[in-house]
Amino acid sequence: MRKKLTPYILLVPQIILTIFFLIGLITGIAQSLGVIPAFGLTEPTLFYYKEILTKPDMVRSVLYSLRIAFFSALFSTAAGVLLCAVLVMSRRTKGRMMRIVQLPIVVPHVVVALFVINICSQNGLLARVIYAFGLIGEQQEFPALIYDAGGFGIILAYLWKEIPFIVYFVIALMANIDGKLGEAAVNLGAGKVQAFFRVTLPLCANTIYSGFLIIFVFALGAYELPFILGATTPKALPVQAYIQYTHPDLRNRPYAMALNGLIMAISLLSACVYLALMRRSQKKLAGNK
Amino acid sequence: MKKKRFAITNMILALFVLTVVLPIAVMIVWTVTERWAWPDLVPQVLSLRALSEIFRRSEALAKLFASSIMISAAVAMASVVIGTLTARALVLYEFWGKRMMYFFTVLPFMVPATVFAMGVQISFIKLGLNNTVAGVVLSHLICSLPYAVRLMMDGTAAVGDRLEEQARVLGASMGQAFFRVTFPLLVPVILSSFSMAYIVSFSQYFLTLLIGGGQVKTFTIVMVPYLQGGDRNIACAYSVIFLGITLAVFALFEKIAGRWGKNTDTEFYT
Repeated sequence: MRKKLTPYILLVPQIILTIFFLIGLITGIAQSLGVIPAFGLTEPTLFYYKEILTKPDMVRSVLYSLRIAFFSALFSTAAGVLLCAVLVMSRRTKGRMMRIVQLPIVVPHVVVALFVINICSQNGLLARVIYAFGLIGEQQEFPALIYDAGGFGIILAYLWKEIPFIVYFVIALMANIDGKLGEAAVNLGAGKVQAFFRVTLPLCANTIYSGFLIIFVFALGAYELPFILGATTPKALPVQAYIQYTHPDLRNRPYAMALNGLIMAISLLSACVYLALMRRSQKKLAGNK
Repeated sequence: MKKKRFAITNMILALFVLTVVLPIAVMIVWTVTERWAWPDLVPQVLSLRALSEIFRRSEALAKLFASSIMISAAVAMASVVIGTLTARALVLYEFWGKRMMYFFTVLPFMVPATVFAMGVQISFIKLGLNNTVAGVVLSHLICSLPYAVRLMMDGTAAVGDRLEEQARVLGASMGQAFFRVTFPLLVPVILSSFSMAYIVSFSQYFLTLLIGGGQVKTFTIVMVPYLQGGDRNIACAYSVIFLGITLAVFALFEKIAGRWGKNTDTEFYT
């Protein structure tokens, strides 16, 4: 009997924290459906979701956030995997090189924003270097990479932080597979590059997908970078949500929660896509056996 | 051909190292820069103004230190303890609701902190946790814990409970068996869980802003206004100081973990 109770006792603090978390989620979802008893709103409605999906500036926010999240995740994953491959093939998966890889993981996003301002603004180092080479004649000719409507500066900031994250996330597995199965493929006559693309990479696919997913969901819901480096319009979803949340008119709160609900829905949807992809690649691997 | 490929590899790696190191180097230069007008590549006037301004208000700095680092350390400590307990339950036991519990422990990975923060604030206000250090710690903990649980689950699965059972058979109590047998083997994973949870908490801006209500000052909360106000020297100086401390602590951890690893890295790990 005692043995049976042990796991539940071990889980007590976790359960308490989970309850807090769920309270947050459920409150948010209820408010997004317009249920705020304190304001006398008790009838659930999809009105606020309809509003945010039809109001032009809200729609632009949605597209802007999706764009930033997708490109950040895509480029980070692609560059991260490439870098990881280079590190694995040149046998530099430990030691000093890995310290450099770990460095950006420790740096908070607000500091990365500072980096982007220092380097990529029109007054930044990059503009000065290009000027020194005579490629531009004036400060204003340097393209606005931050506070721009395309979210370019935000994506750059994410890349700085997330490329090393992907390397860190994938490298142990990739080094292991390349050292064992990749080696075997080379012994059987495959070229090194061929062995990498036909053997090592497919076996790392699941981890790479989940790395992509983590970055996508994070970039979609993160506040600090779009807040510091983003344009005045369009505003990223979390920034827009916070503006509605702190709006003096409390009746705007359901809009904030509907925007949050949208972020959550997209996150969960991408998690489902990820699970489906994982199932498929597992089946494929099993089939190849 | 072989040489050429080698050159490309080295170029990619050099570019990567430069991209990581350059912004940090520029930030360090900025901490002692007074004037750096367009289009010069090096600052025209250097000064210690930013540094001396920060250190002159050493009381504020000490306070910020205490609150920022203490909050993150408390969050990391709690994450490790709770993460160890949760990981034990999820890895070593079979029980009703296990899959559901696992789903809930990793759910915060899938729900951004901003969404959680705006939803939970009203409850925190009702409980009197808003604008308090305790509230900030609690909210950070919820976001840091999944990382610790994930890492501790891998660690616990690798160590297993066979050795602990041996100790039990030999007459050790449950606590003894854990602390004398399993715990030493878990130390490296515990240190990396601690580091991860610390980083997640230390990097939080939005959660601290909302739950702390501007009353609870952490590094990110203090730094963002300088960043937006254009007082870049001060923002850079704060960043250099706090990053320096974080890196020093992690280097120490790594040393401990490395030494520990040498003592205990036996066949149990494989």
